[in-house]
Amino acid sequence: MLRLPALATACVLAAALLYWLAGVLGAQHKLAALEPLPPRANYAVTLAFPPERFHQLRLQDKGRVVEVRKRTVYIMDMSPAALHDVAREYWVDTIVPWAGR
Amino acid sequence: MSATLAAPAPLRAASWSRRWSRPLKGLAGVLLLLAAWQVSVPLVGMSSYFYPSPADVIASFTELTRKGILPVYLADSLLRYLTGLTVGALLGVGVGVLIGLNRTASLALSPLFRFLFAVVEVAWIPIFVVWFGYGIKTIILALIYVVFFPVLYNTLLGVRTAPQILVNAVRSLGANRWQVLRLVILPSALPGIITGLRVGAGFAFRGLVFAEIIAAKTGIGYLIFEGTQSQQTARTIVGMIVMGLLWLAIDQFYLRPIERATIERWGLTVDAEQRT
Repeated sequence: MLRLPALATACVLAAALLYWLAGVLGAQHKLAALEPLPPRANYAVTLAFPPERFHQLRLQDKGRVVEVRKRTVYIMDMSPAALHDVAREYWVDTIVPWAGR
Repeated sequence: MSATLAAPAPLRAASWSRRWSRPLKGLAGVLLLLAAWQVSVPLVGMSSYFYPSPADVIASFTELTRKGILPVYLADSLLRYLTGLTVGALLGVGVGVLIGLNRTASLALSPLFRFLFAVVEVAWIPIFVVWFGYGIKTIILALIYVVFFPVLYNTLLGVRTAPQILVNAVRSLGANRWQVLRLVILPSALPGIITGLRVGAGFAFRGLVFAEIIAAKTGIGYLIFEGTQSQQTARTIVGMIVMGLLWLAIDQFYLRPIERATIERWGLTVDAEQRT
């Protein structure tokens, strides 16, 4: 009787799980070269395209965005947890340590 | 054995045709509209800011997805929508049952609710912004407000039209007030509650767009607004299409099956398919 709602919910949950799993695996791959992570550090986050306001606002939640140059956003004082959050975003291409200003 | 029980081939074909003819006709209508839209773009001869083509909209959809904007906005809108819908529906059912069963509560609250029902949620949003600031609280409050009244009035109707003969029958068997409510009144009111929920869910969608335009920095409503602000009209149309498709999916996969199941189980008809 309620097969359709159950099926739709299962599909949505499966899609959400895959999205989350892809993010976790992507983050591991992007951060592999940076391990072990220091308590707080500065990073240059490069996107696959020039960042829009949406991306800058999201990155601002994770640290102090100090500069945007072409496709790269420079962020200071990022914690390991915040760095993992950023790395999980599929639109983040690469993350490298940055000496800061 | 199974061969004797299986439906004859012409009957199976007729059933298949009946099942798929409606969605196929609907799809044909959409394709026809898209084709007319695409053909009209060079004839109109305006820039894509004024009159984007379907190709522009598809390109915009791809870009928004590739940049991660659309999934986040969609998730944010859905979370707000489901939270507002759930809380609004629970409050509507609770208050509806209370008013339906208690004459004093009905006399005290009915005029107030009639007054509030007339004040649309768009009028409340600026006040909510003053009280709670921009963001999720304001949006969810607006959605609760929108969902509350249709659920309340349909619950009230369901409670008041519960068959008195069944109430008397259960009472005569020694049922207490809680048992009367659980065994007779709530099941009788359930088709009304579900109808109210479906109406409220539709209202909540409109409320969500209004609230996100005014009080949010993310969400599909915000995308619709921001698209025109940044002269990216194709993004606005993507937002409108996503909103429409989302509503169709929610209605088709959740609200209609739940309403049908409820009416078949507790309503007055055996085959609710005819009603939808």
